[in-house]
Amino acid sequence: MTHAVVNEEELLIRRAQKADQRAFEQLYRRYVGKVYGLCLRMTCNPAEAEDCAQEAFIQAWTKLGNFRGDSGFGTWIHKVAVNAVLGRMRKSRREQDRIRAVAEDMDGPPSVGDSGGMRDLEQAMNELPSGARHVFVLTTVYGYSHEEAGDMLGIAVGTSKAQLHRAKRLLAQQLGTAGAA
Amino acid sequence: MNDRFDDELLAKARNLATEVQPGRDLWPDIAAAISEPAGRPRLFGLTNVLTQAAAVLVLVGGSSGLTYLAVSGDRAGVSPVATTQGLEVETVAANFGTQYSLGPDFVDARRDLEARLGDELTRLSPEARADVLKNLAAIRSAIREINTALAQEPDNALLQDLLLSSYRKELELMQSVNGLAGNSMYREDI
Repeated sequence: MTHAVVNEEELLIRRAQKADQRAFEQLYRRYVGKVYGLCLRMTCNPAEAEDCAQEAFIQAWTKLGNFRGDSGFGTWIHKVAVNAVLGRMRKSRREQDRIRAVAEDMDGPPSVGDSGGMRDLEQAMNELPSGARHVFVLTTVYGYSHEEAGDMLGIAVGTSKAQLHRAKRLLAQQLGTAGAA
Repeated sequence: MNDRFDDELLAKARNLATEVQPGRDLWPDIAAAISEPAGRPRLFGLTNVLTQAAAVLVLVGGSSGLTYLAVSGDRAGVSPVATTQGLEVETVAANFGTQYSLGPDFVDARRDLEARLGDELTRLSPEARADVLKNLAAIRSAIREINTALAQEPDNALLQDLLLSSYRKELELMQSVNGLAGNSMYREDI
């Protein structure tokens, strides 16, 4: 990102903080892909991801006064989006059912090396329990540190590391890797 | 899980797209939400109050109809069965913002109805009386909530209309108890 772009973004943020909706729309256009992408990876559901992304931008508008620029705007709005997803998931009974169903599947015998082919990584990620999936998405796909992921998800750094380890182990099982242990 | 798998997995994961465009433009809905007259900080709270108040009015509206039938049925030949002791008919203040207030005719009618309500309630059966008081409590709870919201948004026309509806329901309920025929309230009453 060039210096000019940063300055332009800072200007948009300052204008949006003064309730300039046009500036906020430009920020939306700039970040909607990142926000929706994260919501989609976390929820595995396009419709829910749209709702979460929408909610995230509405929340961002109301909380924009709190943005001090300590982190980048992209990181800040990602955090808002993570909160939107977690808030929605807490309300969603279906997600709980889905987590239980996946957990039951995980209790069965591992399918290590049974198919001779790698299943699609995205599909395998979708089948992870939400805690493991969220950490995997934030740390591995989006490159956040365990400290940042833990802060976003409201969990300890050690928990984040444990969830990542669990995610890798489950992915290894699902992807049929002979080396999974 | 070995190091080679780990490396391959990480490499693949890092190649996944981090930006995905949604299937529709979300901006129109976002713009509508952030353009609410309630303004930024109170957007969700106000929406919640409006929803709750509207729900209360719908419920009370239906319930008041049933109460009216019960009260009408009770009225024929029912002698006083209770005293007014313990029946509290509270006065709820009205807040119609900076430009409106309750009209004097309505204030007089309401005061008169309230004064007679206690006596009329004693003529009802315990069940009907409990029903009336329950409905009145629900209406007045809605009035209090809307008044609280109006304290923050004094000139919000939607809240004003909701408050007016609440008073209208309250008046109709008291009229049904008192057996009085009166005009319902309209926007001109404030």
